Amino acid sequence: MRVAIAEDSVLLREGVANLLGEAGFDVIAKCGNADELRLKVDSYEVDVAIVDIRLPPTHRDEGLVAALEIRARHPSVGVLVLSQYMELGLAMRLLAESAEGVGYLLKDRIGDVKEFVAAVQRVANGGSVVDPIIVSTLLARRRSDDPLASLTPREREVLELMATGSSNQGIADALVLSLRAVEKYVSSIFGKLGLPSTGSESRRVLAVLLFLRS
Amino acid sequence: MTAPALAQGVAEGGTAAPARLVRWPMLVVACAAAFGSFKLAFASDELSERGLQAALLNWTTLPYILAGVIAWWRRPDSRFGPLMVGAGFAMFLSSLQWSSHGLPYTVGLAFDLLPAALLVHLLLAFPSGRLERTPERLLVVVGYSAAIGLQLAKMLLGGAETRNVLALGPGSGVGHTVEDVQLVTLSVVCLAGVVILAGRRRGSVRRLPPRIALFVDSFATGLVAVAVLLLAGAFEWPQFETIRRVAFAIIGVAPVAFLIGLLNEHLSRSTLGHLLVRLRADPAPGDLREALAEALRDQSLTVAYWLPEFGRWVDRQGRPVELPEPDSGRASTPIDRDGRRMAVLIHDASLADEPQLLDGVQAAAGIALENGRLHAELNARLEELRGSRRRMIEAGQLERQRLERDLHDGAQQRLIALSLELGLLEERLRADPEIKGRLDQARDEIALSLEELRAVARGIHPAVVSGHGLAVALESLTVMATVPVRLTVELDERMPERLEVAAYYVVSESLANIAKHAGATSATVDVARVDGQVVVEIVDNGVGGADTERGSGLRGLADRVEGLGGRLRIWTPRGGGTRVRAEMPCV
Repeated sequence: MRVAIAEDSVLLREGVANLLGEAGFDVIAKCGNADELRLKVDSYEVDVAIVDIRLPPTHRDEGLVAALEIRARHPSVGVLVLSQYMELGLAMRLLAESAEGVGYLLKDRIGDVKEFVAAVQRVANGGSVVDPIIVSTLLARRRSDDPLASLTPREREVLELMATGSSNQGIADALVLSLRAVEKYVSSIFGKLGLPSTGSESRRVLAVLLFLRS
Repeated sequence: MTAPALAQGVAEGGTAAPARLVRWPMLVVACAAAFGSFKLAFASDELSERGLQAALLNWTTLPYILAGVIAWWRRPDSRFGPLMVGAGFAMFLSSLQWSSHGLPYTVGLAFDLLPAALLVHLLLAFPSGRLERTPERLLVVVGYSAAIGLQLAKMLLGGAETRNVLALGPGSGVGHTVEDVQLVTLSVVCLAGVVILAGRRRGSVRRLPPRIALFVDSFATGLVAVAVLLLAGAFEWPQFETIRRVAFAIIGVAPVAFLIGLLNEHLSRSTLGHLLVRLRADPAPGDLREALAEALRDQSLTVAYWLPEFGRWVDRQGRPVELPEPDSGRASTPIDRDGRRMAVLIHDASLADEPQLLDGVQAAAGIALENGRLHAELNARLEELRGSRRRMIEAGQLERQRLERDLHDGAQQRLIALSLELGLLEERLRADPEIKGRLDQARDEIALSLEELRAVARGIHPAVVSGHGLAVALESLTVMATVPVRLTVELDERMPERLEVAAYYVVSESLANIAKHAGATSATVDVARVDGQVVVEIVDNGVGGADTERGSGLRGLADRVEGLGGRLRIWTPRGGGTRVRAEMPCV
């Protein structure tokens, strides 16, 4: 797995590079700004780019813009955006086109090495990652007529994992269920929420998020 | 320079002194000339309809002399009066050609066509008596050359009757050709004069007062008639005699119109009286400009006030004003009070031709102008205050932004790096459950610190607003609200950051108030750009009756919004929910 990293803090850039190196990734680019990252992704075969959302020179939206651009120019390259702040609006903007091979994580997650490595792997393989905080915020959201009320507690758990981008196998592992059981829960949830059952696991991430946001 | 001094300055270099001396003698000479012309006419052998011819001549000369003398007397600073008198006498000279003696006949003949050139000169020199522009001067020179130069050449060649003592030989074809050229040239000069005048009038935004318009119109018509007459002469039209009589009749009307205008000038004082009455009724009219523009018949008129402390001219709203450049078609008349510079009227340059009117208006509007100046000064100070308030808000915002950046780049990054280090350690020491547990605990502590830091940083400056815009930032804010919120953002593009941040605070503070006090079950947040303003409105269905002064943070919000030139309004009837509406200009 070939990784490119864009992060302006040297401390974090090297830390993430070491971590991924030890986990068996091939870190081929360590960039300090968005232009450097673009150049590297254009020039080398890259499976996944890890991008800090705030990059020089203005530390405004350079990282997000670069991420969206890479998504458009190289659909096969996974993009995992790291953010200091949890912004639903940014996650939605990033996932808007397609959730395939896209991730949005709070920067703090780097410390949870196993989880972080799994997330990078998932995005590199074309899966999706949405930070659990975003999903739990959306689930905790007050609604005047709560459609989630009809879900069983187990269904809620499955929905939450689904929204963070977990695959059916991932959900089965996390909740210690059989794959068949997960599939049953998923179709029941889609039925109750009135969502069209979509085939791809990453496409359903966006559908669920949009549903939760609306 | 005060206005009287200005007038005096002109008078010193003007023609005031001789006017008083020659006024009466001139009139006596004019009467003598009139008498002489009749006498010549009736003694003439060749003239038919002698009485009519003499009357026509006097009709085109006496009014000019009379109007010129009166104008000279009433407006000693203008050269127009003397010019008119000169033109009248020069036209008298042409009557000498009725004489049967060779010499006077020759002199009269030499002046035969001079009136055409004189009329062009008069028209173009109105009202100052000076030719201001080069094309006008050129045209007049061409006119005189044709009227006198070609006339003499024609006479030398014997083009006219051989009675003239200048004739070198009998009449020849060359003489006739010269005459034709001369007549056509003069005709063109007359028409060109009319065209120039029309162009000048179109270029001026100020409407001519009726009495002046009457004069200019009759004069221009007269010139057109003369042009036609000259062409009739050149091409020997059979109706020549009729055209001549009509042309003379019209030419005589112009000075009469001028005279009427001059004598009725006091009528314009009635507009001054109207202004005085208006100012007495309301010594500080809301729009002094309007009143002055009406009195001076110049709708383009503006008033600028001098603010010595700011060292600049401003309008009533306190906004800086530039005085017009010379030759820009605009002119300014300074108005002083007790020797201090106070105000200036900026008006169409043609108004400078009516100094008395300007003087009168200045005198009448003195107090009102002083009031206007105070008003302008107050506005300028207010504007200055607003500017410094806005600068303070912006400076504060920049400082907060810097603090947030420092937190982000410093403590937050270090804590994340620390958490990463612990995570790597944990991977290596996986075998020891006790160490793993303690490392986990340490990482949880760091996660908590990071969360707190995030809240602090966000409170200092909502970085996501500057980074990604209001719409994105409001999305998280409303999703995290304690009641269901319907959010609508209608903005085509990003707004200036200070506005976005202010709008963000208005929403976040309002949502916080809803959570704390409103007891609402739902709320709406609407942000839109309407008529160059950003409008932010937050409405809840709670208990209303919010305290807008204490505890709610609404006072601080209002300060922020007003500091940006906007306004914050709150409707909070008891039991009727609360509506907060902020409007800020998008500049």
